[in-house]
Amino acid sequence: MARDSIPLHVVPPGEPGLSGNAPPLLRELLERVRRLLDDGESSAIDLSALPLTPADLAWLRDKLGTGEIAVTLHAHGESTLNETGCPGIWWVTHRNEQGAVMSQFIEAAFVPELVKAHPRDVLTGQEYLESMISGC
Amino acid sequence: MQGSLIDTLARQGVTRRAFLKYCATLASMMALPPAAGRAMAEAMAAAKRPSVIWLPFQECTGCTESITRSHSPTLEGMIFDMISLDYQETLMAAAGHQAEEALRHAMKENAGKYLLIVDGSIPLGQDGAYSCIGGRSNVDLLKEAAQGAAAVIAVGTCASFGGIPKANPNPTGAVSVSDLVQDKPVVNIPGCPPIPVVMTGVLAHYLTFGSLPELDDKKRPKSFFGETIHDRCYRRPFYDQGKFARTFDDEGARQGWCLFELGCKGPVTHNACATVKWNGGTSWPVESGHGCLGCSEPDFWDGGGFYKALSVPADPLKFVAASSVVGAGVGAAVGFANRASKNAARSAHETTTLADLEK
Ligand code: SF4
Ligand code: SF4
Repeated sequence: MARDSIPLHVVPPGEPGLSGNAPPLLRELLERVRRLLDDGESSAIDLSALPLTPADLAWLRDKLGTGEIAVTLHAHGESTLNETGCPGIWWVTHRNEQGAVMSQFIEAAFVPELVKAHPRDVLTGQEYLESMISGC
Repeated sequence: MQGSLIDTLARQGVTRRAFLKYCATLASMMALPPAAGRAMAEAMAAAKRPSVIWLPFQECTGCTESITRSHSPTLEGMIFDMISLDYQETLMAAAGHQAEEALRHAMKENAGKYLLIVDGSIPLGQDGAYSCIGGRSNVDLLKEAAQGAAAVIAVGTCASFGGIPKANPNPTGAVSVSDLVQDKPVVNIPGCPPIPVVMTGVLAHYLTFGSLPELDDKKRPKSFFGETIHDRCYRRPFYDQGKFARTFDDEGARQGWCLFELGCKGPVTHNACATVKWNGGTSWPVESGHGCLGCSEPDFWDGGGFYKALSVPADPLKFVAASSVVGAGVGAAVGFANRASKNAARSAHETTTLADLEK
């Protein structure tokens, strides 16, 4: 019979969608913060690569809390790079022009790499300033 | 191209951060570690653009549409800045003899190094006369072009598996690229049409690591085709609870329950729609209330009807077997699933009638 031969796993309705996969991530973050302090090594966890439910993500965000800095990047859709309540841990969300979440990371870093200006871009800025001054 | 890719992109208004962000997302979609996003960005920004020859065979141009029109200005379009697209009939300005000359030139100049992209199946009937370009049959052209290629990328289900031209009774004798090309690496990017980011991912991987990504047993990149639609479907909890929509407008459909009984082929279909979605992440078929057709699997057109529930366990390897099961002994299984055994399919390739839709 059609559906009978397909294993059905009955999930009791009304359970909150916590999978239990989020708490171990806190340990993982602790390890990464240690590495950041000891060796200055920044790193990231790709949240879309992990089996996390929306409830898990909400739990994690809630636990990590909100920090002092929130960065918004406007580049082909909005990205947010927000410090959590644990300094050195950043919650990074990339959205496309339609506003859909494309990828999501937790970064352990003093400053997320994406926030820093690249020397080549700074050079362009310098040239622009110079051209403005000579045009005055 | 003058200067690095980054400079070219900057001229088009794509900033460095936008590029980095895109690479981070691409790496994530390809299940590469986050550090790979940065490596990809660096490698691609500095890469020498590989020559790409794109041959369209027996196809509807839907694949080209999917890939070139994916985003308003240029995110997937950026890929065309990463490669030197030396021949693409639909996009190139040259036509006629000029175009054929460009093809010959690109093949000679980059012999052994170019990437060959193919969309469309290859008809073998009547000595290949069913589809010709510049007086030469597709099969001839493919064999010649594949000889000098570093790798062949079959875009779309037609090039990957024969697709709709190969549907029963396959009047033109259509075959897939890998049926004909056996001595070169072949990557299949099936889908009707294929998801654009898979194409970008394969090219980005090639530019970054100098190699093709890991493939499954049907030559599809594992990072995008490793899981079934069903594995990642947001309606999955309803399937697990046994809550099914039974018509397209019943209470279950309104509640967003599982579309299995309405013929969803998600359990046996490997593709990334459930995670990558379509139209810039707007939605995807199941989210729009329609079951998956199984378009990235071989012979999806002959799977026994889009609106007939699957009759076999959700085992991905059984897809081909499933269609023959339907053909052989359609009895109880399909009949039960459709609750209308009188309408049970008599053969694997019956016509879908209104009655099938209404069930
Ligand atoms: S059968 Fe289709 S709609 Fe139902 S959970 Fe699987 S993929 Fe989703
Ligand atoms: S949902 Fe299924 S039929 Fe639709 S595009 Fe994706 S794989 Fe193809």
